[in-house]
Amino acid sequence: MSEVMLEINDLHTYYGQIHALKGLTFTVNKGEIVCLIGGNGAGKTTTLRTISMLKPPKQGYVKYKGQNLNSVAPHEIVTKGLAHVPEGRRIFPRLTVKENLELGAYTVKDRNLITKRMQQGFEIFPRLRERQSQLGGTLSGGEQQMLAFARALMIDPELILLDEPSMGLSPLFVETIFDSVVALNKAGKTILLVEQNALMALGISNRGYVLQTGEIVLQGTGEDLKNNEAVRKKYLGED
Amino acid sequence: MSAELFFGLLAPTIVDGLSIGLMYAVIALGYTMVYGVLEFINFAHSEIFMVGAVIGVELLTAVLIPTGLHPVFQLIIAIVVAAGAAGILAVAVERFAYRPLRVRNAPKLVPLISAIGMSLLLIDVMRLILNPANPNRPFPSGGSFDFFTQTINLGFVSINYKTMTVFVVVMLMLAGLVYLVNYTNLGRGIRAVAQDQSTSSLMGINVSNIIVITFFIGGALGGVAGVLYALKYGVASPVMGFIPGLKAFTAAVLGGIGSIPGAVVGGIILGLLETFAGTYLPLMTNDQIGTEYKDIVAFGLLIVILIFKPAGLLGKAVAEKV
Ligand SMILES: Nc1ncnc2c1ncn2[C@@H]1O[C@H](COP(=O)(O)OP(=O)(O)OP(=O)(O)O)[C@@H](O)[C@H]1O
Ligand SMILES: [Mg+2]
Repeated sequence: MSEVMLEINDLHTYYGQIHALKGLTFTVNKGEIVCLIGGNGAGKTTTLRTISMLKPPKQGYVKYKGQNLNSVAPHEIVTKGLAHVPEGRRIFPRLTVKENLELGAYTVKDRNLITKRMQQGFEIFPRLRERQSQLGGTLSGGEQQMLAFARALMIDPELILLDEPSMGLSPLFVETIFDSVVALNKAGKTILLVEQNALMALGISNRGYVLQTGEIVLQGTGEDLKNNEAVRKKYLGED
Repeated sequence: MSAELFFGLLAPTIVDGLSIGLMYAVIALGYTMVYGVLEFINFAHSEIFMVGAVIGVELLTAVLIPTGLHPVFQLIIAIVVAAGAAGILAVAVERFAYRPLRVRNAPKLVPLISAIGMSLLLIDVMRLILNPANPNRPFPSGGSFDFFTQTINLGFVSINYKTMTVFVVVMLMLAGLVYLVNYTNLGRGIRAVAQDQSTSSLMGINVSNIIVITFFIGGALGGVAGVLYALKYGVASPVMGFIPGLKAFTAAVLGGIGSIPGAVVGGIILGLLETFAGTYLPLMTNDQIGTEYKDIVAFGLLIVILIFKPAGLLGKAVAEKV
């Protein structure tokens, strides 16, 4: 049995009266790519926001490397090696690419380390090197996704939460992003991936969970889910 | 009016307008920086400015003059203490009057009322402290403080030491602020929080801390401006914040609220406009229109500028992709 990196147990999250997560339980093991698939409004984004405590749960807990995160502030969670690339990229539009990356390393004090990691990011996404003094808001959607990803890597995270990295991107960009997810996983990073692009996501994932209105309705290996009839019908657009 | 008179007054008017404008700029920075992180106008800022001025003047009068130190050193000490005290006061106001509303997700108008309330409270408390019958506190003059009435002649214009002091202190503060905001980790944090709070926290930024620091910086700048204002106009009083506060707020809007360079540009433009109007209106109209109408002219022009640039001169220019 491999080492559990992230343990989610009986998670309930509310937006006012809206019960968005209804008793979610799942785990992510060290070294895995796990994906969370589901339709619009299923609660995928809420799950990630609860894990990083931007939206703390009403009930249940999130444990990361054995530590309960429920009462830890979002800005402290980052320092534990958990990075969250939010939905819609959320790069800082009026800061340059370089400044965005430096902000990713806000908690890193060692200048040399920051420079080194920035160079690593530029090697993964050479486009960002060319654009480094450009304002984030002037990048294309795909470039912004690369930036959001590279920014998250600035803390050299152990676990990365990725919220719909393929959203609104051309197939070529989607492939670039998915390739880098696989490469980072090979390099030892654990990844929790949220996607609507279920086929591609399941293709690179060790395991997957299917979320529907705040509940997990199916789980299995990436391969199993890809071949599951219900999943194919519902999420892969087959009738 | 003769061309000779016109050009003769030009240089002193520019110098005076710049020095006033720079003070507006420094006060405007307090409004704009807080607006940047919270989208909220801290109307109590003009009273933070006033408290800074009173503390500076009182400290000079009661404590520093008896030490017999050189007046420049005395002024430096007064400025530093006023900056610290005003900064702490701004943080306290945030802590007790704004934060409780923010954490309860109060609608945006509510903290505005709270700010106006704090503003009135600070005026009245200060009046009580100073003595309601005679709350004005003159800036020290005479004796060693005659130093500040000296002038230096630059050939085309002569500048007195008070005005010189305003220039030097404001320039140092602006340089420090530009460095802090643009080239330090803290400054990047402030700019990040101004753009996106939840994503900032995902970067490891403690958003509440940044808000507190922003109030401190804004308050400290206001406090220093207060001392400079008292130096230039010779008096500190509980109600002194109202007019310069209003003008600095206007300057911040003119420059583009939330924009740091905008606050500086807006302050300088407003200072120059009103000083020019004050000097030249009476001359050009044979005293039919006196100096007291300078604000009408200045604000009239401002409205015209804002009609053409509604977001302010340096308001957010980059389209934001979401
Ligand atoms: N800020 C909010 N306030 C109120 N309700 C919200 C908020 N954010 C999300 N919800 C609700 O919570 C539920 C789950 O939303 P969530 O964003 O987690 O879905 P999602 O699976 O990420 O969807 P999508 O694929 O469209 O991004 C939805 O019903 C949504 O309307
Ligand atoms: Mg979502």
